[in-house]
Amino acid sequence: MVTIKDTLKLFGISIVICCAAFVCTLFINYRIDLVDIKDTVVGEQAQKMYDAQLSTSTVVCSVCGGCLILTSIIMLLTYIKNFINTRSKELGIMKALGYSDMSIARHFRIFGLSVLAGAVAGVGAAAVYMPKFYEVQNKDSYYEMTRNSHFGAWALLIVIPTVLFAVLSVVFAYRRLKKPVMKLLRESADSKVRKSKDNDSSLPFLKDLKKETVRSRRSLIFFIWFSAFCFSCNTQMSFSMKTLASETMGYMILIIGMILAYMMLILALSSVVKGNSKTVAMMRVFGYDDGETAKAVLSGYRWIAALGFLMGTGYQFGLLKVMVNVVFKDIDKLPDYSFDVKALCIALPLFVISYELIMMFFSNKIRKLPVKSVMLEN
Amino acid sequence: MITVNNITKSYGSGSAANQVLKGINATINDGDFVVILGASGSGKSTFLNVISGLEKADSGSVKYGDRDITKLSDKQLTKFRKDNIGFIFQQYYLLPNMTVEKNVKMGADLAGRKDYREIIEAVGLGSKMKSYPSELSGGEQQRVSVARALAKDPKVLFLDEPTGALDEKTGRQVLDYISRLHEELGFTVIMITHNQNIADMAKTVIKMNSGVVTEVYENPVQKTAYEIGW
Repeated sequence: MVTIKDTLKLFGISIVICCAAFVCTLFINYRIDLVDIKDTVVGEQAQKMYDAQLSTSTVVCSVCGGCLILTSIIMLLTYIKNFINTRSKELGIMKALGYSDMSIARHFRIFGLSVLAGAVAGVGAAAVYMPKFYEVQNKDSYYEMTRNSHFGAWALLIVIPTVLFAVLSVVFAYRRLKKPVMKLLRESADSKVRKSKDNDSSLPFLKDLKKETVRSRRSLIFFIWFSAFCFSCNTQMSFSMKTLASETMGYMILIIGMILAYMMLILALSSVVKGNSKTVAMMRVFGYDDGETAKAVLSGYRWIAALGFLMGTGYQFGLLKVMVNVVFKDIDKLPDYSFDVKALCIALPLFVISYELIMMFFSNKIRKLPVKSVMLEN
Repeated sequence: MITVNNITKSYGSGSAANQVLKGINATINDGDFVVILGASGSGKSTFLNVISGLEKADSGSVKYGDRDITKLSDKQLTKFRKDNIGFIFQQYYLLPNMTVEKNVKMGADLAGRKDYREIIEAVGLGSKMKSYPSELSGGEQQRVSVARALAKDPKVLFLDEPTGALDEKTGRQVLDYISRLHEELGFTVIMITHNQNIADMAKTVIKMNSGVVTEVYENPVQKTAYEIGW
């Protein structure tokens, strides 16, 4: 019922978990080593630096790791919800035959494998990168940090998310399956329609469709917003981090941000295209041209992406301001931080161009949707 | 007039190729009510898809007047469907998150029509304008689909087993609407069905079996939706 192939579709979660495991492994390992040398730190400046680094490790682990894990949880739950919705008849038949909710839900634990793959890759990458990371952290430091490999912590970073996600998958699937057999059997896309409160019929059909496409799948609003947020926040922050921390740190943030942003945008738009394939097919049958169809389906997300970019810009500025003015306020060597206009001038056009290119790719995908096979899907 | 000349169509290739249409010829006059009658697997749906421009034939021609649609590009075919064709399907294919009114507007906007509410009234759904497809019965949904197709002022209306998912009472109602609107508006109707009784409503019947036309005949008297057997 739930196969390895279904798990492979969760590669997006694997990548997000990989990023989370990578960051957390580096900073948790570093934090443990920091705690170990607590008594050897002497001097006022050294102590301030020590405290700031300890806080940074904690903040990075909690904010970055926490955000990434939360994103993965939302992605996982959305996937399971869609999985059950699209297979409600099949699942209903299984229940009708006598399978209990739990015996079906138990199959969903296999989704933990995508997390396992991501966590192993992330911890592995962190292990490879760790010597360089310590070298960068030790540069200009008041004390020398020795690198130790805390395998126990690494193992926990693999085991805990894997078990957590496997259990979460089972529990969530169990809750979604806990409904009468006939309801599952009769459930169709039509019965899950989000009805609009706004029934303004004066709008042209294409404008209506644009509005309805965005409104009907709210989880995608979040993913597209978050993708733009990640892009904006991480690219701009990476410029400042080169000055405030190190070039390596800057690149690390940039790469993680780009991976997250592009992957999430691509996943969300794939979902938009798939979810609207029947509408697109019907519009083409009726004679709407490919360009206007693609525009109606995709262009409604542009303002959400713009909002995400704007908020990401504000967030990174606020976060760095707090880090510099509060966490590292007593450190002498730290340069002043002000809003980086140059970073914005580079990030904004880069975002607009890449967003529009990805949109163009998906418009093309819409143009190529085979009308007949889409209509034959039931 | 629609002239179909020696149409062939296969699916698959090599030894797995399945020839669905094996050289079909037919002539359909403007304003005619045609039923393409055949059992499951006779090739009638593929024939409908080819003559409506939804699918391309492997060989042969489909001419609307002098215009051969088998020579048109995808873009030109889309424009052709926009200007000339209406569709009604067995599964309705309504947009689930849009009201009846907005579903019909999908067709009306293509023809630049503002009077689509009158068409909804004409199919007896005036009180359901703000309802969603999931709130309607099968018959009502099919009537929305009829209104949507007619709202774009088609010159030719294609119907793919329009009563296949309906019970007798609602099936007759839908056929009655179609027949009355055909008489009133004068468009060409091409309907496929496996139901011999429904063929009694047509002026011209094209019988198909195993990818070929086996018989073409005209009914001496066209029965109404309430006169045919079921």
